Amino acid sequence: MTTTLPPPFDPELAAALGVIQEMLPPFTLDSLAEARGGGAVAGPTDVQLRRDGAFTVAERVVPGLGGDPDITLLICTPTAAAGTLGCIYHTHGGGMVLGDRRIGVEALLPWAEQFGLVIVSVEYRLAPETPHPGPIDDCWAGLLWTAAHADELGFDPDRLIVAGGSAGGGLAAALALRARDEGGPALLGQMLMCPMLDDRNDTPSAVQMDGLGVWDRQANLMGWSALLGDRRGGPEVSPYAAPARADDLSGLPPAFIDVGSAETFRDEDVAYATRIWQAGGRAELHVWPGGFHGFDMMAPAAALSRDAQDARVRWLNRLFNG
Amino acid sequence: MRDLAVRLAALDADAGAALRVIAYFDSLTETRAGLQAIVRGAAVLAGCPARLDDHARRVHVRVDASGAAAPLSSSGDPGWMCLAVVPDGSALLALERAGEPGPVEAMILERAAGAARAVLDRTRGRAPAADPALVELVVDASAPSDVRDQAVHQLNLAVPGVRAVALPGGPALLPPGVVPSFARAGIGPAIDLPASYAAARVALRFAADGTPEDPGPTVVRYDDLGALALLADLPADADVPDLHRLEHATTAAPWALATLHAYADAASLRAAATALRLHHSTLQDRIAQAAHLLGWSITTPAGRLRLQVALTLRRLRRHPR
Repeated sequence: MTTTLPPPFDPELAAALGVIQEMLPPFTLDSLAEARGGGAVAGPTDVQLRRDGAFTVAERVVPGLGGDPDITLLICTPTAAAGTLGCIYHTHGGGMVLGDRRIGVEALLPWAEQFGLVIVSVEYRLAPETPHPGPIDDCWAGLLWTAAHADELGFDPDRLIVAGGSAGGGLAAALALRARDEGGPALLGQMLMCPMLDDRNDTPSAVQMDGLGVWDRQANLMGWSALLGDRRGGPEVSPYAAPARADDLSGLPPAFIDVGSAETFRDEDVAYATRIWQAGGRAELHVWPGGFHGFDMMAPAAALSRDAQDARVRWLNRLFNG
Repeated sequence: MRDLAVRLAALDADAGAALRVIAYFDSLTETRAGLQAIVRGAAVLAGCPARLDDHARRVHVRVDASGAAAPLSSSGDPGWMCLAVVPDGSALLALERAGEPGPVEAMILERAAGAARAVLDRTRGRAPAADPALVELVVDASAPSDVRDQAVHQLNLAVPGVRAVALPGGPALLPPGVVPSFARAGIGPAIDLPASYAAARVALRFAADGTPEDPGPTVVRYDDLGALALLADLPADADVPDLHRLEHATTAAPWALATLHAYADAASLRAAATALRLHHSTLQDRIAQAAHLLGWSITTPAGRLRLQVALTLRRLRRHPR
């Protein structure tokens, strides 16, 4: 395709982006150690997660899949919640190469309080040290353990959802596919926030936003190559690595998908929602005009960010209270 | 990568903070962002509620530190850090934080006010016209005091410490704590507003155009005039021989007015030379020559005072009642 002008960033987000880009680590394989060590990718502490006693925070070490190493689950339980709890099983973001189980959990705390949800966030092994299927297998093993221990964790297994942003959104989508294929655990929903779904990295939005915004085509190429090596973009990529590769998107739990119009993932995320509908499924899609990747997390006060956050809460409300 | 815990609030006190503030508001202006986005930027960057009150256009925007539009809590607090968005002080940008603004806060105020001004200028045609009638009412001594009080409330300026300002085009009001940014103005004391305005009009006559023909301070506070204010009472047709001499000197030598003004105004000969960008010996020669043209010595304290009075009277004559 011919290169076209990219959609403009939202004015407020454009102003924030100038500041954010200064703080972001470089996303290349060579500087991965620096990006992993940088303060920009620091997750919340236990004290921050406890929110003055609103949550108890615990960690469990549970078996990996088959002969894989044990994995750690971070578990935050609301202390004041009344009635039956649900559970949000969280896969963190970080392009498959960055982050840990704490990243992104703070954003889930208000939902957990409002809707009475136990948060379980999984520590999966990262690429390139652990290529596919290591990361998704860790996430899967954690989900199996979580669903099997619903009583112990204090939630109703019929109120279990998967959620994640960016690479974590891709992993959550893969968990929903795998749960469908393997006949459980039953999932009430899947929240895919600007998910990373397609290793081919060649959609018009990927091309259009090359060199722009956050997590551009080059960074995305790095992330997918770390996970898949030479298999990236080839004919033999598993849908559990790149959910966009799934031939069949029927029989999935209701999906919430959001994405910015000015980011690499726009077209693959819109296509994923479209294909769910075409397969007779349920999906809610929000494309936020002028949003860059992760805008709502990095510039949370902007008008568009607040609207994006509100839309998720409204979906959760319909899902859990509807 | 949505999970990076990057917050704009992390701008605190870091060496690059001021530059980031500049870049942030410049970008908002470039992309023609609206007033909400600008006030939200100020609130989020400063980490406290921020507000824009445009009394003339009845535009009131308040945003809390998390970026949420928040109801107006009160008509304002004179202790808040604030800055006039427009020269007449009818629109104010404030951070709801008491005390002297630090460097980053001052930068936020300046840049956010500049961005807001650009929006107000752009939308002026659509905005309701400023209501000069209300301001005129407030400073009108002949208006009943309850009517004036009501007007002050309508302007959202019912706080202690407001001063009347006399501009060449008419009255304006200066809320407390606001740094005035007027082209040429007289500023009254913080007293009853009609009396303040009467004093401000006197002060305005002491304010120069700031041009080569009319050098001197362009903004004058009545409070700073002291007994000099009495000079304003001199009848416009009073014959003052020193004014003729000053006229003679400035006509005879084109440099004389600037030289005399700089000399009368400066703390020392050397400071005057610096202000005029002259070598001090050159200035010394010129002062001797100017004194000769004037006909009185200006290097004695009494002679210098006589020069200052003559220059002040000259300005009062240029700006009659």
